[in-house]
Amino acid sequence: MSTIQYQHRMGAHCESGTVTSLLNHAGLPITEPMVFGIASGIFFGYFHRHKSFTFPTFIVRNRPGEIRTNLQKRLGIKFKTYSFRNPDEGMIAMDGLLGRGIPVASQVDFYYMDYVPSWERVHINVHFMIVIGKEGRRYLISDSYFPRPVELEEESMRRGRFAGGTMSPKGFLFHPLQVPADIDYSRPVLKGIRKACFNMLNIPVPFIGVKGIRTFARKVTEWPAFARDTEHLSHEVMKINILLEDQGTGGAGFRYMYATFLQQAAEVLNRPRLKDFSAELMEIGDGWREISLFAARIGKQRDLGPERFKELGELLRQRADMEERFFKELKRQVH
Amino acid sequence: MKEQEGYVDCPQQQMILYVEKENGQYGPIQTGSYLTRNYLDDYFLKRNNLIAKLKAQVQQKEISPVRFFMILEDLTLPELSSRVGIPARKVRKHLLPDAFSRLSHEELQKYAIVFNVSPGQMVSLDFPEEGQIPRNPAP
Repeated sequence: MSTIQYQHRMGAHCESGTVTSLLNHAGLPITEPMVFGIASGIFFGYFHRHKSFTFPTFIVRNRPGEIRTNLQKRLGIKFKTYSFRNPDEGMIAMDGLLGRGIPVASQVDFYYMDYVPSWERVHINVHFMIVIGKEGRRYLISDSYFPRPVELEEESMRRGRFAGGTMSPKGFLFHPLQVPADIDYSRPVLKGIRKACFNMLNIPVPFIGVKGIRTFARKVTEWPAFARDTEHLSHEVMKINILLEDQGTGGAGFRYMYATFLQQAAEVLNRPRLKDFSAELMEIGDGWREISLFAARIGKQRDLGPERFKELGELLRQRADMEERFFKELKRQVH
Repeated sequence: MKEQEGYVDCPQQQMILYVEKENGQYGPIQTGSYLTRNYLDDYFLKRNNLIAKLKAQVQQKEISPVRFFMILEDLTLPELSSRVGIPARKVRKHLLPDAFSRLSHEELQKYAIVFNVSPGQMVSLDFPEEGQIPRNPAP
């Protein structure tokens, strides 16, 4: 089997990067921020206790898979999807698509991607990448986190695609089936912004959206009680930086990418006022970036006393206040 | 964030960052990870300390290799149970050395796949990670 002619592109995030890349390949010239924004990707959720996590954690994007499904609904794009109970069938189907010259997105457990450096690998079942070829027993992968295409052993691919656990991939594959020739982006952009505002302001649970940021600010002072020792606490605090910056967010927990989307949305909708929102979110993002750097610094220095956690909580509270104001104003702007 | 503030020299981990370009437009740049550049040595220090501590606990028969890898790979009991396809009550027993020594080959193989090591490495805890520690990339 050979390799499909495919223009590899890096992306900020695995799912929005994968979807953008596949749509570009299919002939739709859409940007990653536009994909992310139309799909209402911006989000916040805090989980103090959860059966899948050994330590309190948070998320800064919507549910995995929703980038594709929201985009499908709002832009009228059709994606063909596949899931498998039987790993052998799943591997044969992937090879079959490659044989037909179709680059295909695959959901995998990131831990088995042996092209990823050891310090980045974690068990997380919602990594997306594009398979673009196979030579012998090695797949050629276009992974948006990497500057160039990478290779993956067949066995690692199988393990990654059929890992168990929360949000098990079940061999999930997708590729665009039909992309409309002319898309009017106005309504999808507005819908995407409205839903993002709803997610950040109106979901009636205390751990989601702006309320989630406040819960995080309040509960972060309890983090030391969850830690085995100082080094464990340091590791978990430094993961705040990873979750906001390194885990494919485009910087500042997706705030910079969403600001870019709003700038592009201002053009699409011919609403220059959205450019002010874009600039304001960029500034809010700078504050998230300060939190990332603060977490990395106190983690490295093992400066993890109660005062530091109060300080961290205060920084988070400021973000919550600013984002609440921001999304309320944005909501008024798009209604 | 301004474009010139966004560049980090870290070839080991490249990423896309959205920044404000000189013309006022926002867009992506390819840059490196600030955390990896400046704090990777600390990550490996903590990881190696954790490995040494857990290995000592295995040698003193306080915990089993299953618990060793479960802590190292940051998995909860329900998550590990779901991943290996073994009921949680049985996995809980396998966290102790006695029950671990009675594991069938099939069960050991299931754990080894989840932890991405061979069954032999699962028992000996002699896996290559410690030998692959990169030098601190920070100046």
